[in-house]
Amino acid sequence: MKDIQIDPRGPRFGAFFQLAFSVAALIVGANAGGIAIMAVLLVLFIPGAIIGPQATLQGWVFRTFVRPRLDPPAETESFRPPRFAQQMGLAFSILAVASGLASFETGFFIFTGFVTFASFLNSVFDLCLGCEIYLLFKRVTTRTA
Amino acid sequence: MVERVLIVVAILAVASVAAVWWRGRQGVAREVERAGALSSTTLGAKRGYHATFVQFSTPMCAKCPPTAQLLSRIAAEDRRVVHIEIDAAERLDLARELEIMRTPTILLLDGDGVVVSRISGAPSEQQARDALAAVPRTGTDYSI
Repeated sequence: MKDIQIDPRGPRFGAFFQLAFSVAALIVGANAGGIAIMAVLLVLFIPGAIIGPQATLQGWVFRTFVRPRLDPPAETESFRPPRFAQQMGLAFSILAVASGLASFETGFFIFTGFVTFASFLNSVFDLCLGCEIYLLFKRVTTRTA
Repeated sequence: MVERVLIVVAILAVASVAAVWWRGRQGVAREVERAGALSSTTLGAKRGYHATFVQFSTPMCAKCPPTAQLLSRIAAEDRRVVHIEIDAAERLDLARELEIMRTPTILLLDGDGVVVSRISGAPSEQQARDALAAVPRTGTDYSI
């Protein structure tokens, strides 16, 4: 599969949306409202998990409204590590929604809390946890030639 | 409601501390116990007479090309210093042996090919120069 290079500021911008949703869900609580918010975030993660951050709604917003106002990026990155990060976000969102529906309040807060933690690090500190885990994962699963 | 806001604040505070700690570790050279030496044959390129920057990169590492440019530029200033870039995906055997956990990771070798320090993450120019200055002299200043 071809390696598509993307502007690294795109997923970072998208992380702000993810942060907003997960913080809102935490504040609203483990009730119908909070579950609904995490369910919306879950849906937002899906295209990112399958295709990559360039296919998400957040990515579209970045491309349409923010990117035209910026200089071209100094460096580009492969879409694979951020896509893996979106997959992790999707997994935790699914766990959060499932915990909420099963009335497992602690689980809801833990999983939503993790999405908050990771998207905060990404948006504010430009630290993509999923990307860091990706190389470790590749190293463990790939066999030497 | 208040306790949930406190939970959010706590998560953000812990994340901030973690990020600042992580950033502090980026690009810092740590002296390494002298194990075996890396030969030019193992590396696939000629080592430097005084010091060598061995950079492990992967194709999907955004910071690797700028780091390679920086280290090549620094190496070019001294004929006894060399910069070698290795694709970690191609040389998985080396990456395993040298415990490369992420890219870019730069190993600094002295004149004998022994690893003196390692830099995890992209170093700034000052950090790279400081790391190079810390490499002890193993040979003489004469090349004959």
